[in-house]
Amino acid sequence: MVSTVWQNPVLLIVVPLGLAFFTPIIGLIRKELVKYIPILGMLFNLTLSLFLLPKVLDNPIIVSLSGWKPPFAINLFVGPVGILFSILISLVGLLTAIYGINYIKKGAVEKYHMLFLLLLTGATGIVLTGDIFNLFVFFEILCISSYALVAYNQDKNGIEAATKYLIQGSLGSAFILLGIGFLYGLFGTLNMADIARNITTVDSPALFIAMALFITGFGVEAAIFPLNAWLPDAHSSAPSTISAILSGIAIHIGIYAIFRVLYTLFGFNSIFTVLAVIGIVTLLIGEMSAFRQENIKRVLAYSSMGQMGLIIFALSIGTVDGISGGLFQIITHTLSKSLLFLCVGYMVYSTNSMELSSLNGLGKRMPLISLLFTIGVFSLIGLPPFIGFPSKLSIILAGLKTGETLFLILIVLMLLATVIEGVYFFRIIQILYFKEPDKEERFKTPFTLLFPVIILGLLIVAIGIYPGLLQEILDRSAEIFWDKLSYIKIVFGG
Amino acid sequence: MKKIISFVLLVIIFIGIYFAVSQIPYGKDKMSVSKHYLNNGVKENGASNIVTSVVLNYRGFDTLGELTILFIGAIGLGVVLFGFETKGKDIKSPSLILNAGSTFLFPFILLFGIYIFIHGHLSPGGGFQGGAVIASGFLISYLGYPKKRISEKGIHIVESLGGTLFILIGLLGLLLGGYFLSNILPKGTVNTLVSGGIIPLLYVLIGIKVGAELAGIIYKLME
Repeated sequence: MVSTVWQNPVLLIVVPLGLAFFTPIIGLIRKELVKYIPILGMLFNLTLSLFLLPKVLDNPIIVSLSGWKPPFAINLFVGPVGILFSILISLVGLLTAIYGINYIKKGAVEKYHMLFLLLLTGATGIVLTGDIFNLFVFFEILCISSYALVAYNQDKNGIEAATKYLIQGSLGSAFILLGIGFLYGLFGTLNMADIARNITTVDSPALFIAMALFITGFGVEAAIFPLNAWLPDAHSSAPSTISAILSGIAIHIGIYAIFRVLYTLFGFNSIFTVLAVIGIVTLLIGEMSAFRQENIKRVLAYSSMGQMGLIIFALSIGTVDGISGGLFQIITHTLSKSLLFLCVGYMVYSTNSMELSSLNGLGKRMPLISLLFTIGVFSLIGLPPFIGFPSKLSIILAGLKTGETLFLILIVLMLLATVIEGVYFFRIIQILYFKEPDKEERFKTPFTLLFPVIILGLLIVAIGIYPGLLQEILDRSAEIFWDKLSYIKIVFGG
Repeated sequence: MKKIISFVLLVIIFIGIYFAVSQIPYGKDKMSVSKHYLNNGVKENGASNIVTSVVLNYRGFDTLGELTILFIGAIGLGVVLFGFETKGKDIKSPSLILNAGSTFLFPFILLFGIYIFIHGHLSPGGGFQGGAVIASGFLISYLGYPKKRISEKGIHIVESLGGTLFILIGLLGLLLGGYFLSNILPKGTVNTLVSGGIIPLLYVLIGIKVGAELAGIIYKLME
């Protein structure tokens, strides 16, 4: 018994949570220790998730809490998708935490690290839980800590963006809660597998309305058009570490929640066509808005919005191939966008300006950071040999495989969006390398800032060259993510 | 134009939600899960208050999450208000009645709050409610003595310890019972103070933590 306790997946949530609670006491003992706590928590999560991955690929693990069987108590559903997300969260969390050691100096530093850790805990909780209300609770943890962190700089932009985000996010949360209330009224249970098991017994428009409420509510966090007005402000005025987490993790968690609910709970397959169209619209609007921006962080924020559209499109194709491509694109975007935000964070920190013109000739002044920035950009556009190439390719192939005219049109639009994306990103590259710098002096980058960015860059190249490493895991994850019947079967055993 | 569009949208949402609510058979007899709680709750947990038994045992993980949300609220406020200086000059001294009254009432309010969370597994009430009552005690003492400060350090230690111990009890359940938050202590006799296993312990921790957090929030906002 004792020997297996250390591999219980519930520790992925509980250990970082406990560390966050314990932080004030550590802060009283020694102030400097506080900034290493998120690193410790995320290192633990990364190790445990990597250890669990081969196990859950064969059989997802069901963890009951409080000692009762589902549906009477909350249970965790630890499948390959959950662990895949958990690895991404802890990897990017770890690297960003290392980056944050020297980056975060002003303000309530201790509270920053606590909120940072809690945000990641909330994200991990969402992807692992198998209970709809528990999902809501972790969703609130994720959202509320991100509202506070967006306002961390205490400048006017930050407070304004956080207020906007807070109002829209709370409305979204209220919608989700209402949806949960409807489901509970219809089925008398909150366990997702239990609801999924009984969903065919009820034929009521209330079911459809509950689904609409879920899509809208989670859609605010996932930045689906037209629910994304908060995103460019929030992502651009937060500290860069937080932008990296919000763009790299938080919005994907919103997408995960939407599709977990759609795949597992509801059986309306027609909604996927609508979502695919919305996804492409989000993609086009995001890329076109990014095109016009003069502020580097806003460019990245709008590009995140566009990428969300692409991921939603891929997950709405409604085949295992499509889901696998969507998950691949999530990995691409997480790695590339956090790389970009961390690079830009350092550029903005050194040049003290977010305007594109202030980046003139930085390629000569900080060659390594600029090179890594270029890798991130190329990967987002989808150029080989970076990770973005195989992921975008697999989405296109999955779409073509359906053979439907609608998907053919949507894919053409998607390629058009990629061209727009390429144009504005190449403009930035041109500014970096082919404009004359204002000054000649070079910047010296501290190691703690450089290390995370290099690791991300290496991962992007490595997976880009050997996509086969991931493909098998992704296909298996997609299969389990899509298969509702096996989800029910695994939770209730037999 | 904008107003008309938002009005139309609101009407659509209203109709949708009204439609859904009118269709859902609330309170009908299909609540198999809640029936299980009602029939087996006392036996399985030893707490005579079924609500408490659901909140802290069957769905204890949610409660941990809600506790975290409140905690985030408190620190989030600290982040946003960081560095604001207390003025403290133009505060008028309150009247003698408020002064004496708050001194007199403070211990009783604390006592009442503690009673609510200690009896949470027997009677209505519990940690969140008890914590709110305790915080109201601090509010009245603040009104009586606006210049007096409670130690912020103390609040941090209390809320940090409350949360950490909650998780440690849960982990102990994982270690000894095989499940996180499983009820490892003996259930005791129903309807006595020492019953319900870990439930009263958790409620005491929640009560203290919530009390400290809300008191901290009150003091921060008052300044």
